[in-house]
Amino acid sequence: MTALSDQMKAGLDAPICLTWELTYACNLQCVHCLSSSGIRDKRELTTIQAEAVIDQLQEMQVFYVNIGGGEPTIRPDFWHLVDYSVSHGVGVKFSTNGSRIDAEVARDLATMDYVDVQISIDGADAATNDAVRGEGSFDTAVTAMAHLHEAGFGEFKISVVMTRHNIPQLDQFAALADRFGAQLRLTRLRPSGRGADSWNELHATNAQQIELYNWLVERPDVLTGDSFFHLSALGDPLPGLNLCGAGRVVCLVDPVGDVYACPFVLHEDFRAGNVCDAGGFASIWRESSLFAELREPQSAGACSSCGQFDACQGGCMAAKFFTGLPLDGPDPECVTGHGQALLQSAGPLPTSDADHSRPMSVSLGARR
Amino acid sequence: MMAPTDLSDHIDETKSVDSGDSAEADQLIKDELLVEELLVEDISIDGMCGVY
Amino acid sequence: MSHDHNRMTSTGFDADLAYRLHPKVAIRPEPFGALAYHYDNRRLNFLRAPELVALVESIGDHPSVREAFQASGIDSRRWPSFEKALRSLAESELLIPA
Repeated sequence: MTALSDQMKAGLDAPICLTWELTYACNLQCVHCLSSSGIRDKRELTTIQAEAVIDQLQEMQVFYVNIGGGEPTIRPDFWHLVDYSVSHGVGVKFSTNGSRIDAEVARDLATMDYVDVQISIDGADAATNDAVRGEGSFDTAVTAMAHLHEAGFGEFKISVVMTRHNIPQLDQFAALADRFGAQLRLTRLRPSGRGADSWNELHATNAQQIELYNWLVERPDVLTGDSFFHLSALGDPLPGLNLCGAGRVVCLVDPVGDVYACPFVLHEDFRAGNVCDAGGFASIWRESSLFAELREPQSAGACSSCGQFDACQGGCMAAKFFTGLPLDGPDPECVTGHGQALLQSAGPLPTSDADHSRPMSVSLGARR
Repeated sequence: MMAPTDLSDHIDETKSVDSGDSAEADQLIKDELLVEELLVEDISIDGMCGVY
Repeated sequence: MSHDHNRMTSTGFDADLAYRLHPKVAIRPEPFGALAYHYDNRRLNFLRAPELVALVESIGDHPSVREAFQASGIDSRRWPSFEKALRSLAESELLIPA
């Protein structure tokens, strides 16, 4: 029997889930924003166009959609689209900074079936968090968490992007999740969007990657979105498919309807089409040349002589792309150090034409 | 994700079976594989990379 | 919505009883067989043989699992693997007593 992973790499008939960024508008300006959000794009999909996307997701039997942005709750039709999605058989998880979750919203959410909430923070205290997400953002997030807990929502998710500064706070994150009856989710920082500028200062050290891996092995209840499969070279694989899902199992729809292989490659090289094209999302998923390419067997390239390749799969395509490394070779954070060596001679860093950042404002609180 | 079943274990087991012809040996190996088929795999709905 | 991650203790799968697919389970065909997703408890399972998919989809039509096997046309030497698969689907509550 073919290994399940090989069958996944050949691509599914429909995504299992996908990320849908509803808007580039955002009230925050997180330093590492993978979608370089801030300012709404005039070409944002209309409500009708968004409903048409949901109709197709329903036909394709996509199980749930991860609604993000920017800050998705800023869209005036946000609640309508959540409701439309759920009533058309597509579950919703939405990722938010919490700024629109007051006590009443939390009570409404607690009554909704098939709607999950994910609150983003990047530090276990205000100092660490706000250095990345802006002054006051930690308080906003924790207030939202308290409202959800108070309203009896149940296990919402607290999602953290792991950095050099917050890896020392793993136990504190776990305690925060316990305090609010939430489920902790830790994900990998990619050098994508605004993340490209801060990646050198923010990404984990080698020692920290090992520390994180060991901690996750002890905590199988902590979610990771399978974002640390590059660490599988350290030992037993972490829970999950342990492979790159881009264009095979998942993808991303952006606020103007562009379809990308995944949220971490919002760059024209990984754009598969637009949902307003004839055939819509379904024909992009099934027939785009980009996704067909990603579903071909990938070459191990420079990794073919390394015994760890079966475990780590050569790591993350986005991490390689945005650090100027070749895609058929080691990840920049390769645990054996092969990627680090290559970074010295990396090519020019790609920049995306899709930057919706607001002009930089005054310093975002204490920076380390 | 579960590691693929190690097929060489099954082949070693069947080597010691006294089987006259190789077609029968092949069938025995096939039977072992059938018994060990992992037909259902449970993966976390959060277990696919590319969703933040 | 609250996701109750506490799993029910296994009540023991009995092939002489009738089972059915939980009403909140979606089965989506794929090249390798199917994906089965339980919308309420959010368990996701890969069904890795088309014969298993057919068995699961028809299981509610029979007065017992044993009879579903008999009607399935699956080679009896494979029944132990298939029963193991049904047992784990029951444990995830994708299959429930009818």
